[in-house]
Amino acid sequence: MSETGAPRVNRRDFLRLSGAGLSGLLLHPAGQALAATPDDNDLAILYDASKCIGCRACERACKAYNGLPEVEEPNTALSPTSWNLIAAREGVYHGQQPYFNYQCMHCTDAACVMGCPSGALAVNEKGFVSFDQNKCIGCGYCSQFCPFGIPQMGEANLLTGEARATKCTFCQDKVEAGTGGPSCAEACPTGALVWGQRGTLLAQAKSRVSELKNAGHSGALLYGEYEAGGLHRMSILLDQPSAYGLPDDPGGQYSLARLYRKILQPAGFAIFGVALAGVVTAYGLARRNIHMEEVE
Amino acid sequence: MSVRLKDTDSVIHIRWIPRYTGLERFMHWVHTASFIPLALTGLILFSPLLQCGAGCVAMRNLRILHRIAALFFGATPIVYALVQPRRMLMHVREFFSFCRYDIDWLKAAVPYYLLGRHGAMPPQPRFNTGERLNAIVMIVGAAVFGISGLGMWFGKGVIPANLYLALLVIHDLAFIVTFAMFMVHFYLAVIHPMMWQSLVSMRFGYVSESYAREHHARWYYGREQAIRMWEQHKAEGGD
Repeated sequence: MSETGAPRVNRRDFLRLSGAGLSGLLLHPAGQALAATPDDNDLAILYDASKCIGCRACERACKAYNGLPEVEEPNTALSPTSWNLIAAREGVYHGQQPYFNYQCMHCTDAACVMGCPSGALAVNEKGFVSFDQNKCIGCGYCSQFCPFGIPQMGEANLLTGEARATKCTFCQDKVEAGTGGPSCAEACPTGALVWGQRGTLLAQAKSRVSELKNAGHSGALLYGEYEAGGLHRMSILLDQPSAYGLPDDPGGQYSLARLYRKILQPAGFAIFGVALAGVVTAYGLARRNIHMEEVE
Repeated sequence: MSVRLKDTDSVIHIRWIPRYTGLERFMHWVHTASFIPLALTGLILFSPLLQCGAGCVAMRNLRILHRIAALFFGATPIVYALVQPRRMLMHVREFFSFCRYDIDWLKAAVPYYLLGRHGAMPPQPRFNTGERLNAIVMIVGAAVFGISGLGMWFGKGVIPANLYLALLVIHDLAFIVTFAMFMVHFYLAVIHPMMWQSLVSMRFGYVSESYAREHHARWYYGREQAIRMWEQHKAEGGD
């Protein structure tokens, strides 16, 4: 305390407090304030792990619709030619229901979209994350920003960077045209994958989670209602998200993405604008006030 | 060099003093010639406002150009350090040497550069305060660009995603600072009406004696004499 009784803040404390405040402002509260929110009328997919039998009909339907090559051996990871994957996770729900369907989570405030410099990734007005591969420049930022590791890059080239990204598009062509829904959901024989309006699916999912809990699945939970601002590919899980390889809190990369796109980039242009305006003003003043014949 | 003024008998004698070696100038221009395409191609990746329309082939090629330019940008200081390590060390010492006259220079710089009032400008060594600040920003910036850029180039998919993103943010922060500094440097070196000799010296390596005396007195006269003259000038009421 100082002599006046006021708390004294030394320079180190001031810097520490300022740093903490700035970090907090940038990375969480402000980030949340900058985030978009999902709409009940958005389109979404609901995956119910308790109904999945691992038949891989979704994988095949995805490949067939998107013209991706079939493989004889089951895929073990997402790849440039496998945008939809059924994988059995060891240790999930005591090994009784180990399957999980991996595909784009179609985040509301998608980190990949914020990181994409070319506009190849965009949040569609219907809520899902669309992708235009013709616009992709292969920078791979999306693959780094996505907390779920969904975008897959093609063959790497040391000089030019990586080939263009690939990911689930929510079968955007036919969904946009109104001629159908995501192929994976249309092909699922057990109803583990369904699609529709997000609000409707959300109510359905909550009811299903209660049902599962009443049936003795005490760990049942809904993943995607709030995670990362709300997903458009929600999941009913029988175990903790980490058991399925999902991040419990995917917020870190979203915070960095928001810092990058919504704070750093506008701040950069503001600084460039100030520098340019300063230079132009300085030039005007110099031209008016400096007479070279006197200077020389 | 003597110049006879047109239609008069007056002759102006100009004594030219070497300021930069050929290698220094070559390195400066290679650095500039790589920084500008790096900045412009980086700006396209940096700004969502510059997103490409249909196609994007050009944008993909710009990414390649960014990497090629980065090789030259990174090679410049390395080559200089290999060819003339002592002179480079001397430069670094010069750049990072500051004294109270630099504060006075910063105070006097605004009326000088905006209004042409030279009287309050304290004596400067071979690089004035502004040039040294620019050099420091570029040296630190180049180091940050190098580390973060190489990390992004070779670390994608190898290093943790959060580290990659941190490198991306750091790379962009370095870009914001260095590009803003470059705009000021470009204005003062190329556009400002009184600084043309500075540009000439970076082109041909020489400045006039009068320019050296006025702008870099500590270099021209030597530190002690220049400061003595400056203190005397102030004592006599010079502004």
